[in-house]
Amino acid sequence: MPIEPSTLSTLHLLRAAARSGSDWKSAFDNLLIQVRADFMYDNVALYLLDTRRRNLEVARARAAGRGRRFEADTNWGEALAGEVLSRNETIEREPVTAANEDRLQRPYVIGLPISMAGRTEGALIFVRFGGPEFSETHRLLAEWIADTVGSLLESRGLLAARSELEQAQRQIRMQDDFVSNISHELRTPLGFIKGYTTSLLRRDTSWDENTQREFLSIIEEESDRLTQLIENMLESARLQSHTTKFHLQPVRLDSLVQDVVTRLRLAHPDLHIRTEIAEVPPISGDAARLVQVFDNLFGNALKYAPGSLLTVGVSSGDRRVRFSLEDRGPGIPEEYLPFLFDRFYRVDADASATGTGLGLYICRQIILAHHGKIWVESVPDQGATFFVELPVEP
Amino acid sequence: MTSDMPAKTAAKRILIVDDEPRYLRLLEANLKTEGYLVVKAADGLQALEVFSAHPVDLILLDIMMPRLDGFGVCQRIREFSNVPIMVLTAKGSEQDRVRGLDLGADDYLVKPFSASELLARVRAVLRRAQPPAPQTDARYFVHDDLRIDLARAEVWRGGHQVSLSATEYRLLLQFAYHIGKILTSEDLLTGVWGPEYKSDKEILWVSIARLRQKLEDDAHNPRHIVTRSGLGYLMPPIEA
Repeated sequence: MPIEPSTLSTLHLLRAAARSGSDWKSAFDNLLIQVRADFMYDNVALYLLDTRRRNLEVARARAAGRGRRFEADTNWGEALAGEVLSRNETIEREPVTAANEDRLQRPYVIGLPISMAGRTEGALIFVRFGGPEFSETHRLLAEWIADTVGSLLESRGLLAARSELEQAQRQIRMQDDFVSNISHELRTPLGFIKGYTTSLLRRDTSWDENTQREFLSIIEEESDRLTQLIENMLESARLQSHTTKFHLQPVRLDSLVQDVVTRLRLAHPDLHIRTEIAEVPPISGDAARLVQVFDNLFGNALKYAPGSLLTVGVSSGDRRVRFSLEDRGPGIPEEYLPFLFDRFYRVDADASATGTGLGLYICRQIILAHHGKIWVESVPDQGATFFVELPVEP
Repeated sequence: MTSDMPAKTAAKRILIVDDEPRYLRLLEANLKTEGYLVVKAADGLQALEVFSAHPVDLILLDIMMPRLDGFGVCQRIREFSNVPIMVLTAKGSEQDRVRGLDLGADDYLVKPFSASELLARVRAVLRRAQPPAPQTDARYFVHDDLRIDLARAEVWRGGHQVSLSATEYRLLLQFAYHIGKILTSEDLLTGVWGPEYKSDKEILWVSIARLRQKLEDDAHNPRHIVTRSGLGYLMPPIEA
């Protein structure tokens, strides 16, 4: 029997509908809207086994025409869905009596198994209230729809599984990087402690007093670095898992920054530092944590822009308080800027400076916990400016 | 040790390459107590510059460095020189060790290391780099298409000279001096590298592989250095 052109174009439209949409649900909806031109139904429901493959759950239901009143109620199909699933075949049900006046009491139902990857995973149920009964052609069309829905779910399921797998792989990769970074960071100070200690312990040579002191100071500094590293790692793990408690209270950033600067001047009497600190409204913050952030930023400036003039600013506007710290050091090459606040990130060229690669990460976590922003701007050879912006209390 | 150094022989010159100033200082301070002259480079590119300006007897090369890493340095230097190279690698990274040896490093030192370990390894590598005293009066040793000029420490294959590192040359001589005899890994490691290396099979595997690459027509079907599974290696006698 030759295929009618109209049949072909219907199939074509149905196929296009089944491929449309951004997820399987919209594709399913589009398909069932499209099919209604050739296949009348009042209600349709798709039942799928839950992830434990124990219970059937309604994955999608649509009501059209006379079934609208029953939109939310899909119980009418559940028993049949279970039967279709266990028998794995198409089942039709007709009303016990055709005499009832109320059409809703005379449902004609067809249930079709939905299979994915060769396993029956659910059932598709169509209802016509008050008939007509399903003809042979309609049964074939319904089977075709069930088949299409099955492969639709299968392919979307594969896509979802793939993206889950990719996500899991990314996680594993990040964990691997984390472990290798940690071990590298821990090993560096240990290598110095081991190397310089065993040098001092050599029996076949004697070191002069200056060299001994030099080696011992290195050992001391590297042990401190190791301690600092471990503390930072714990701190960053706590911040990462959001188990750090923040004691929020009104904080005046102007006086807080002024205190940090005063302390800094005492510790570094020959420091060139200029302050442009305006009176600003209080913000809600954890003062000790914020001091930690500013200490870290000043520490970085001293380390990476030694001897440079530092300009500290505190200002407010647009319901935000802004802190800035500008140095006139060598600046930060543009390619490093996006990664500066990442965990364990350290600028390659600065291998000579000691550090854990955690400082700015911790700063960012603290500022994020305050619903603020932290960022850096830099022009190579002219210096770098770090900014912190915090919202003013409502 | 210092007092034993014969004053007549010129002091050995060692190039140390590391991006951590504290490693440079550690290496330099210890090497100087042994009478070595030290030149320094802070990254891979600088190492290549310094090396082309100063001939040295040994390079101590860190792997993880900015600009050009230790593998890159090793590879480039091996294009034109057989200077002994010892790579400094982090513990646990077996891949790095093997890769370093594959690229022609003679030895490796695992960080963290002790000062005495460093000096012992340096002595061992420099000892291997000395041309070995001939154990025979013969001037030449010939094995099929392979010819060793024992007096000049040169190796020829067919009509072409083959460039071997000092360690590879010593390894080849072990086979030549014991032709037809199966040599165990331990024999070879002790004989070539020294008793402290006797369980260091990785270094032997990589060196045998490199030697085969240079000497055999087909490194997978070697004729000069043959593996006897579970026993060791030998150079089979040539049938007359």
